[in-house]
Amino acid sequence: MKRIWLVVVTVCLFGTSLHAATLEEKVVEHRLSNGMTLLMVERHTSPTVSAWIRFRVGSVDERSDERGLAHMLEHMLFKGTKTLGTSDYAAEKPLLDQIEQTAQLMIAEKAKREKGDKARIAELEKQLAKLEADASRYVIKDEFFDLYSKNGGVGYNAFTSRDGTTYLISLPANKLELWAAIESDRMQNAVLREFYSERAVVMEERRRSTDADPESKLWETFVASAFLAHPYGQPTIGWMPEIENLTRTKAERFFHAYYGPQSAIVAIVGDIDTKATIDLVERYFGGIRPGGMPLPVTAEEPRQAGERRIELVAESEPTLVIGFHKPAIAAPDDYVFDVITMILGEGRTSRLYKKLVIEKQIATDVGVFDAPGQRYPNLFVINASPRTPHTLTEVEEAILAELERLKTEPVAERDLQRILNKIEFEDARRMGTNGGLARNLTDYEATTGSWRYMVGYRGKLAAVTTADIQRVARDYFTRENRMVGFITKKGGEDK
Amino acid sequence: MKRMIISLVLLFSAFTTVFAADAPKADPRTMTFPELRYEIPKGERVVLECGMPVYLLRDPELPIVTITAMVRTGSVYDPAGKSGLAGLTADVMRSGGAGGLSPERMDDELEFMASSVESGIGIDMGTVSLASLTKNFPRTLRIFADVLLRPDFSENRVDIARKHLIEGLRRQNDDPKEIAGREIGKAIYAGHPLGAVPTFESARAITRQDMVDFHRRFFRTDGMILAVAGDFDRTAMLGELNAVFGKRAASGPPALPEIPQPAQVFKPEILHGQKEVNQTVIRMGHLGITKDSPDVYALRVLDYILGGSFTSRLTMEIRTNQGLAYNVDSRFDVGRRFTGTFMAETDTKAESTVKVITLMKEIISGMTKEPVTDLELKSAKEYIINSFMFGFTSPASIASQRARLEFYGYPAGYLEEYRANIARVTKADVLAAARKYLRPEAFKLVVVGDAGKFDKTLSAFGTVRELDLRQSNP
Repeated sequence: MKRIWLVVVTVCLFGTSLHAATLEEKVVEHRLSNGMTLLMVERHTSPTVSAWIRFRVGSVDERSDERGLAHMLEHMLFKGTKTLGTSDYAAEKPLLDQIEQTAQLMIAEKAKREKGDKARIAELEKQLAKLEADASRYVIKDEFFDLYSKNGGVGYNAFTSRDGTTYLISLPANKLELWAAIESDRMQNAVLREFYSERAVVMEERRRSTDADPESKLWETFVASAFLAHPYGQPTIGWMPEIENLTRTKAERFFHAYYGPQSAIVAIVGDIDTKATIDLVERYFGGIRPGGMPLPVTAEEPRQAGERRIELVAESEPTLVIGFHKPAIAAPDDYVFDVITMILGEGRTSRLYKKLVIEKQIATDVGVFDAPGQRYPNLFVINASPRTPHTLTEVEEAILAELERLKTEPVAERDLQRILNKIEFEDARRMGTNGGLARNLTDYEATTGSWRYMVGYRGKLAAVTTADIQRVARDYFTRENRMVGFITKKGGEDK
Repeated sequence: MKRMIISLVLLFSAFTTVFAADAPKADPRTMTFPELRYEIPKGERVVLECGMPVYLLRDPELPIVTITAMVRTGSVYDPAGKSGLAGLTADVMRSGGAGGLSPERMDDELEFMASSVESGIGIDMGTVSLASLTKNFPRTLRIFADVLLRPDFSENRVDIARKHLIEGLRRQNDDPKEIAGREIGKAIYAGHPLGAVPTFESARAITRQDMVDFHRRFFRTDGMILAVAGDFDRTAMLGELNAVFGKRAASGPPALPEIPQPAQVFKPEILHGQKEVNQTVIRMGHLGITKDSPDVYALRVLDYILGGSFTSRLTMEIRTNQGLAYNVDSRFDVGRRFTGTFMAETDTKAESTVKVITLMKEIISGMTKEPVTDLELKSAKEYIINSFMFGFTSPASIASQRARLEFYGYPAGYLEEYRANIARVTKADVLAAARKYLRPEAFKLVVVGDAGKFDKTLSAFGTVRELDLRQSNP
């Protein structure tokens, strides 16, 4: 116990309190009466500003008949509103309705599979193409992008994860009102035009990000096999047949149900005046009526009762992924896992790097992280690529031996101190970019309930004892709780 | 948290009408903004006692110091038969110990301070970078200088780095995108050092002595420029830098070997790599320009219009209108010392492969036929001019930007005049540049995918050369 006490003292002397307090002082919080959360930091390094909107809605919040919808909707929310992205919404709307009816008929016919009427499908496809061409006469393509871009906006993008959906942009600081005008319009009046051509784009995205890349394909299968009950097992982009059955009607329902101010966390970081920014945000977003929040996921993953091994045979050299089920972010044991992650996988002094890459030379790289989400219980993951002629088995055994070592041998004080020093540096560095800080603020506010998670983080890790590490290693790094995934080379010696 | 949400919802029903009928809101199409005059920040240029130029930019916002050393070297100087030498040298400079500090002790010391020192060598520049908390700067700087000037190249770490390069080669055909990216570069720069890539043979041929010699030849205090940014005291910093870099070395003038520019040969070629995948990777392109071309501004505008933005012609037609790809873009990669490239890329399902290649070539050709529209020209120029300030958002990026301009010999006033030069570009300039630099009929075309599933055979474009993707498995 004495040793741990020393660690805590060191923390106070060398910095955490100093830099964490700085973050705490710098963040200005404001909550709108409709539930929207606004977090701001003034940084006057350059005349620029980053604005991030995080919705507390991710693929984990989809129903089973609409998987892939959160991500699909992320794409669709770039398509404009009743006034932007269109030259005449009144004229466009009836065509959009006809497109939707036709597409639904086609999906229904295709759902009959071999019993479906081929001629009918071909006819509907033709009708759909004609209607889409008619509707496109009213479309002003990608007008959001165009408006941001000509005003000097950069990094206009969005991403969807299991836990949430985020829209981001950086602008010259004098253009923040453009963001407020566009984003508040999008939140209220989004029109999901060009749905079916965009669905084809998403199918190409899936082919590109997953299907054609063996490591991504292994990862998708691995995660799906780790979660039998919890929606974390579902890929965010959706399986291909699920994407093919998404409709605008489903996307609109999802949008109107969840994507209002009540689920939005906004971070604005940069060359701003916080008082004026609050006024601006109130003026544009304050009148937006709130909707609902997705219900928390009630599915609980049943305790795994035996090792699961997943093989992918592919035109690819072998690779290995090992996972163990673990608790959600900010759970007491999660902090212990963060310490373990850094001991095993952070940098050139980490145990797995030293053992596998330098000493035994059986792997070229090794990574340790948690996935596939944070809000709910997830996986502690180790991946490594064996170096020929060494085998997957050798690499797996060496990794498991290091996990065993954590159970029996107390971690050295210097190793724990190194972790705290690293966090001190990261606490300072994360204040150095508008976008990075906006990302952290929205992310932790969404996944842990408060951005202050960052303020308390180093202290939480400093409180982790060597006994905690041994207990967590013993409790979680068991054969029963283990997932193993690997690629076997197609036509290789093993097949 | 939960309780708070409930109370906020209640508040809402009481006040909603007040907010809804509130202040004026502007139309994004017509809104105007307060003026923002933007002066490009300048670092201070100082010359150390050893003659090394240093760009300093002090900013105490964070208790961190960063340094980048830019070194006159490059993989373009890999000797014949030893492709990969520059990359391995950079790797082992950091991983192999330096100044008598063993690899293990260096890693331990740096990571205990949460400092980083990293090295790398690109085509025509080597970099060694430092980042540390201000309080750990003096010690980190000593290690940085040792890595830069006195690496020990531990035999064991040389061996590990070489083995990693070889394992990487074994894996280089796993991902179709990696295959296509490599092969288009080889095709465009065929016969020139820029087109050389490491092989099993070249990797095995590289010795520790090769690395020692490569390092000694290029990493000299008279062949590098430093960019220093962050939280430091100017006098103390200059004292520290002079202490580690010393006086002017008595060595002879640096002799960078003469490497000729790639021959201006424009000859079409079609390469196919067979992979059983449901999506085809497509890359096409040819030689481009260097930074010294007077047409560089017109080409920046052209880039935005053709394939450099979400509303570009390629993205608009192939992605937005036809749903044929997730990613499609094109770009003149302007060469700093050597002629750069023009490259266009996309990925599409196997069944639309030939259709998409044909479309891309048509759209690119279109740039050479008609002037761009007034609106396209205006949007491109507005974007480039208005977003210019994002090149200078951190002290580190400002200092290294200035150092890079000197490193590559950009003319004085380059940054200051950049926006005015863009503003001067006309539709006629863009058309002339397109006609001069775009030659779709001479594209090198690389296609990696499942040929049996393509909509048509690739021979529609000419004679197809099949890539050998089998790995000799040594």
